[in-house]
Amino acid sequence: METMIVTGAGSGIGHALTRRLLAENYHVSAWDTDPGDLAGTNDDNLDFCEIDVRDANAMAAAVAQAEEKTGKIAGLATCAAIYRATPFLELTEDDWDAHLSVNLKGTMLSCQAVLPTMLEQKSGSIVLFSSSIARRGAPQSAAYAATKGGVLGLGRAIALDHARVGIRANIVSPGITDTPQPRGNLTEDDMYGRAKNIPLGRIGQPQDMVETALFLLSDDASFVTGQDLRVNGGAGLF
Amino acid sequence: MADNANLLITGAASGIGRASALRLAKTHHVIVADRDGDGARTVASEIAAAGGSATAIEVDVSDGASVHEMKTQIDTDIGPVLSAFFAAGIYIRGVTGDIPEADWDRMIDIHVKGTFLCCQAVLPDMIGANTGAIVNMSSDFAVMAVPGAAAYMASKSAIYSLTKSIAIEFAAHNIRINALGPGPIDTPILKSGRTEAEYEKARDTLANSLPIGRLGQPEEVAAVLDFLLSDRSAYMTGQIIHPNGGQLMW
Repeated sequence: METMIVTGAGSGIGHALTRRLLAENYHVSAWDTDPGDLAGTNDDNLDFCEIDVRDANAMAAAVAQAEEKTGKIAGLATCAAIYRATPFLELTEDDWDAHLSVNLKGTMLSCQAVLPTMLEQKSGSIVLFSSSIARRGAPQSAAYAATKGGVLGLGRAIALDHARVGIRANIVSPGITDTPQPRGNLTEDDMYGRAKNIPLGRIGQPQDMVETALFLLSDDASFVTGQDLRVNGGAGLF
Repeated sequence: MADNANLLITGAASGIGRASALRLAKTHHVIVADRDGDGARTVASEIAAAGGSATAIEVDVSDGASVHEMKTQIDTDIGPVLSAFFAAGIYIRGVTGDIPEADWDRMIDIHVKGTFLCCQAVLPDMIGANTGAIVNMSSDFAVMAVPGAAAYMASKSAIYSLTKSIAIEFAAHNIRINALGPGPIDTPILKSGRTEAEYEKARDTLANSLPIGRLGQPEEVAAVLDFLLSDRSAYMTGQIIHPNGGQLMW
């Protein structure tokens, strides 16, 4: 059995991905500050670790624990992120720092936590979650957009640094997806109403993002690295 | 949707088209179409020998009458095409100042007009079924620039633009249209117009230029195609995926 690590595993896409990886018979080291939707889940293959992705030591310990359990870290998916819509001139320095530290620095630190093991293995696949907002922007989303743009650069740099040793890094950029995250800023009607501007006629489901992440984590993507897969129903093609 | 559907692959006699036909034959009836009829029949036989089912058809995708004839034969003998990979392609090297007009025309006709004609041929089946998936063969060179490839780059960019345009046009019919943008893959196209020594030099130079340090294999592109034709990519349309060993990241 091999380990997959998922950050932001307590809700949304991270939660859906964790469930799916368990169903695919992986050991999952599931990281989040709160178990959220994983609370009460009894599965021998699931290790929930109460981890803030800003805490490098806690992540190193969780990686060591997973390595001891299965001997192999097959992949990492970084789903942990925060998103608070705020008009730009009302964006406080604290709020900016919070977005940057969780979404960007936290993603970097999670990658740093798993890469030593992957380098020893000479294998591993990393999937970083960005957002369609990285390229397209969104109203009142300056901090979030900056972090998700940063993730695109971070993912490519990690891909380049490790391509020769058999480690791949890719990015998934979801469009608006039916998770708790947009509900923090939108009513149900507004969220589902976004479908009218999406060519495929619906907003994204966590499952759509899970399938893409699974593909990138798998050997089917053996020649794919440094890429950004935009899973957005055809919205804003460029 | 895509599983068990009839899958039409053009350029299926060799390289990425052939590898795709062999892989996807595990889940589809594959129509192996190629200008090289004997090559197409050979691939269809390989599929049959492996326990799959396939039909070989000879077609010149740059010729509307030939594409029409192919579709008529499919209608008569096989049935609706709900899954398609348009991979027919050529490569002609040459700096822009020296490209003969006939070479330019051939490149544009096979790649751009051929993709257009083939999409037009299968879309009515997909509209009728309210489902379908098309993948067009573009290239890293649709986006990045290299010297000495003006006609190829122009044609592959056009395929990507065509893909985006029809992706939006037919999304309401639940038809998804995406593109593949491979980087250097070890296929016969890399050998064309080169001696064995030149090919080996080109192969090694290319491999060293790639972050991943090796050329891709046709099977690795076929695996990405499999993802794009399947319901695993149900929410992706108008996209290009680059199995390119990190040659281009954007």
